[in-house]
Amino acid sequence: MPTTSWTPAAGHAIPRRAALALGLSAGAWGVRPGRAAAQATPKPPAKPTGQVIVGLSQEPTVFNPLMPHIEVDQGVHWNLFNPLWGVDDKGNFTPQLAAEVPTVQNGGISKDGLTWKIKLRPDVKWHDGAPFTADDVKFTLELINNPHFRAYSRNGHELVSDIQVTSPTEIGWRMKKAYAPYPSILSWTFIVPQHILAKANDPNTAPFNNAPVGTGPFRWAERMAGDHITLVANEHFFGTGPYLERLVFRYIPDLTVLFTQFQTGAIDYTGIQGITADHYNQAIKIPGRKVTAGPAAFVESITMNLGRPVFQDPAVRQALYAAMDKDSIIKAIYYGLPTPTESFLPRQSWAFNPDLPKQVYDPAKAKQILDQAGWKPGAGGIREKNGVRLAFSNSTTAGNHVREQAQELLQQTWRDIGADMQIKNMPAAVIWGDYYNLSQYDSVMVGQDEMTGPDPDVTIYYSSKAIPAKGGAGLNTMQYVNPKVDELLTQGAETLDQSKRAAIYRELQTVIRGDLPMLTIFQYARIEGVKDKLIGYRPSVYVSSNCWNIGQWYWAT
Amino acid sequence: MTPASASTELPLPSREGAGGAGPQVGGSPPVAARRAGRGVRRFIRHRLALIGFATIVVLALAAALGPYLDPFNDLHIDILHRFAPPFSGPHLLGTDQLGRDMLARLEMAGRVSLTVGCAAMVLSTITGTVIGVLAGYYGGAVGAALMRFVDAMLCFPSIFLLLALAAFVQPSLLSITVIIAATGWMEVARLVEAQIRSLRDRDFAVAALALGAPDRTIMFRELIPNAVAPIVVASTLNVARAILLESYISFLGYGIQPPVPSWGNMLNNAQEYLTTAPWLAILPGAAITLAVTGFNFLGDGLRDALDPRLDVR
Amino acid sequence: MTAYLLRRLGQSLLLLWIVSMIGFAVLHLAPGGPLAQFTLTPGMTQADLARIAHQMGLDRPLPLQYWEWLRHMLAGDWGRSYRDNQPVLTVIGGHLPATLELMVSSTLLAVVLGTWVGVLGALRQRSLFDYLATVGAMVALSIPTFWFGLVVIYAFSVKLDWLPVGGMYTIGNGSFADYVHHLIAPAMVLALVTVAIWSRYMRSSMLEVSSQDYVRTAVAKGLPRRVVILRHALRNALLPMITLAGLQLPTLLGGALVTETVFTWPGMGRLYLDSIGYRDYPVIMGLLMFTALLVLLGNLGADLLYAIYDPRIRLD
Repeated sequence: MPTTSWTPAAGHAIPRRAALALGLSAGAWGVRPGRAAAQATPKPPAKPTGQVIVGLSQEPTVFNPLMPHIEVDQGVHWNLFNPLWGVDDKGNFTPQLAAEVPTVQNGGISKDGLTWKIKLRPDVKWHDGAPFTADDVKFTLELINNPHFRAYSRNGHELVSDIQVTSPTEIGWRMKKAYAPYPSILSWTFIVPQHILAKANDPNTAPFNNAPVGTGPFRWAERMAGDHITLVANEHFFGTGPYLERLVFRYIPDLTVLFTQFQTGAIDYTGIQGITADHYNQAIKIPGRKVTAGPAAFVESITMNLGRPVFQDPAVRQALYAAMDKDSIIKAIYYGLPTPTESFLPRQSWAFNPDLPKQVYDPAKAKQILDQAGWKPGAGGIREKNGVRLAFSNSTTAGNHVREQAQELLQQTWRDIGADMQIKNMPAAVIWGDYYNLSQYDSVMVGQDEMTGPDPDVTIYYSSKAIPAKGGAGLNTMQYVNPKVDELLTQGAETLDQSKRAAIYRELQTVIRGDLPMLTIFQYARIEGVKDKLIGYRPSVYVSSNCWNIGQWYWAT
Repeated sequence: MTPASASTELPLPSREGAGGAGPQVGGSPPVAARRAGRGVRRFIRHRLALIGFATIVVLALAAALGPYLDPFNDLHIDILHRFAPPFSGPHLLGTDQLGRDMLARLEMAGRVSLTVGCAAMVLSTITGTVIGVLAGYYGGAVGAALMRFVDAMLCFPSIFLLLALAAFVQPSLLSITVIIAATGWMEVARLVEAQIRSLRDRDFAVAALALGAPDRTIMFRELIPNAVAPIVVASTLNVARAILLESYISFLGYGIQPPVPSWGNMLNNAQEYLTTAPWLAILPGAAITLAVTGFNFLGDGLRDALDPRLDVR
Repeated sequence: MTAYLLRRLGQSLLLLWIVSMIGFAVLHLAPGGPLAQFTLTPGMTQADLARIAHQMGLDRPLPLQYWEWLRHMLAGDWGRSYRDNQPVLTVIGGHLPATLELMVSSTLLAVVLGTWVGVLGALRQRSLFDYLATVGAMVALSIPTFWFGLVVIYAFSVKLDWLPVGGMYTIGNGSFADYVHHLIAPAMVLALVTVAIWSRYMRSSMLEVSSQDYVRTAVAKGLPRRVVILRHALRNALLPMITLAGLQLPTLLGGALVTETVFTWPGMGRLYLDSIGYRDYPVIMGLLMFTALLVLLGNLGADLLYAIYDPRIRLD
């Protein structure tokens, strides 16, 4: 409590995925080795048996996957619906409703990226028995673009036109322009049934939204508002699994109580927001549990509003970065679980640049930078230059205790170099409204996943055309302007070849790291726990919730 | 009877100030000095009230003077010595999750919580009294309108007022005080209005009016002093309520900004460490309980001391 | 009487209207809004947010939005939740039984316990029991409930494993015994404050009644004091308590809020917190109207009961 903070708690990033697989990472830096790692994995049951209770600290309330939703809702969507293709924990696309993933190589996408042809699986049925056809895909894409429908995001979908259904298993369309992130966007776009939603008077308020029908491994059973949601196994699921008879999502608003329920075994898996760093050491000692600090795509940073005079001097940004005691924050406050990072991309992304200059905590150097740039200590030891005081506020979601500790530590270390930071936290509904979107803040401490699904395209966050305070359409609330970055972003989105794109994005990271519009602290790790007899849990940075593959979970007998 | 309101688990236990006109207890016309003397004597006899008073004085002194006597600063972060238990080292009451000295923080937090509690009480008492006097004295349309406004405000659950107001203002010492006061003045207003309404028809007030005294004089010189008793009682209980509310506001995330400590936000931050570092929760929890209990006893004692009906016996 | 009732009802309606206006204005003018929860969801853009705001009608002038809401309200349509799109009345109705269960059980517990403690304290005024009860009541009133709740959970659920950690029932097991098992801890914690208040009221009510002339007369006539108290005084002392119980009705909403959070109880208080947290305007307005209605009815009922009970009171 107050869990009205919607950004996930901090966590730990696995330095090496190989180590995760082999269970070789030691103690606090990796998977806690359990019996499961040492023995051969038991086989899944022949029929779906047993139930899993997932504990969530936010309540899923949106069950139409195309409407505005948050991560916990997606956790449920992954089990009720399917996209055309999904993405596994290594970043590879896995065909689901599509028979194969269209690429330029197999001709599914034309060389210029404008013509798409997709073959669909013929053997898929909706939960109510109706057959899945290409009409459902067409309906889904058109619904998203329907001006009367409150779609979550039209990013990418608005480029789709001329959808042709040539057979119940074949569909094609034209893109208005080549857009490399679109396959990633589609991997997060769930297909909804035309035969139900087309009949509704108003898809925004259709009964479907509270009794969803999908194609996924689980079917909707019931919901007790404010308490839990129950799904049951879909016996006719087209893929492997499900191996569980019942899947229950339980809403437990208080993180401490969530942990306690995990401790006593009342829940089988701690989902979002997982186990806080403070409870990690306690958690790994609970018998019969496996606690993982798996990587997440979120990067924690101090994001600065470059419209403020004090942040316009690059020397200030560099000095603040040099005076950031990342080590203490990560090792002490977060118990060494997250990984320090210089990039806005998670380490696991194929576009990640591992060669960015590493930050070193050097307060003496910070003072030197400021002295040389003309920031002289003034009243109260706070530096000034040309009438501007090195004073600013830092805001984050109120109630996130661990973050507050990091803020307080930063406050002290920055005060030592002559910077005055005031903490101004506010409830989530306030801070992430206009205060953030319209750049009304000085600086925020925020955890963000800036990828577009599994795709490294970050145009909406760094393009100069994406500044809402200046009328832009994206979320570049930092008001960051760099023409080189704009150029790289456009190239990255238009180039279809992945290795070429990787080079472009690596350069992008270098440029942004040089400018320091935000001070990256660490990449999150999601600390989550499962009962050790529960098999199948796999954290992934490419999805927003680790409930993505519950269709593959089962109990060891 | 306590006026019905949508407030949380903390109604004011008060006997005076019924929603309608309470039964008139006949008694001798109030003679201030005589009553005061009897009141003080009764108060001293009320042992619990004295204990409560003493507790508050001790807490206030500790909060005011303690920080000057501490070797440690309440804000200094010592990340290497986090979670030191009490009596285990140089920190008398241990350290918190950032290595800050608990004793110093408790004392500084005491300053904040007690100040917020008292200031909120003063604010809500003044507001409630003014509105109550105006409504009770003038009666008629003005009185009805004012009291209906008070009723309307009573319809809002404290939570709603707290959260909605907190969204408007930057959380700071002043704004928290104002917000807490905003949830508490209505009961005072109802109390005062009922008192004034019954007092204004009494002989002494009528006499003053006949003598030509201006409204303002009647209200502030004649009526209010005689309504002081229930106001005082309500005020002390209001401080208790304010201190508890401050801790609830912190629990809900709108409290005093870090790094400034208050008993409420210290308690709130200590929740997750309940099993690993229980003293982080026990100490501020005990402080809150002591302070609130102290004020409650004080208010109880004051009520018994100042209750005019006890004069009859 | 009828004239009085009509007048009060009229005033209540006026009040409801004022409350709705103030509430609506405060809600919508406060910074932040229902779309803040989507800002940090990956892939969201300002264009999307603006579009969604427009589709939800949030960018229309405030008086127009209020009029739309009022118009629907008067026709019986309380609107739909922004979060799960259910009708507001369904949402409130869904959470109401849980809170009722908690409130009723904790009030019963508190009344029984509080009456016993209060009466005994009044009978044995200034005895050790009385002092302990008084101190205990005061302390109970002063403990922050969320802290107490967590301590109870830690003691009884984690360490002793006697009681479940939270929730209303175990999934898959809907038996009555299971319900009761889950009810014990939250009812206990919630009753804590009510017991204290109740016992204090009971005690002072008993003392007041005991000092009345008819009691003294009965004792003077030779009846044992105890019998007089329990047979005559208690009955008369209980009457205002009934009024008090009625006045507890409005606290239905906010009262159990903290308890519901700590014990994962899906009740109205929890709904309130979540709705305000997510700025689910229709639900918040619905809850506000609901509470205001309860408060006004409670006030009216209390005044009426009090007038009926005490002929000295004049309703004016």
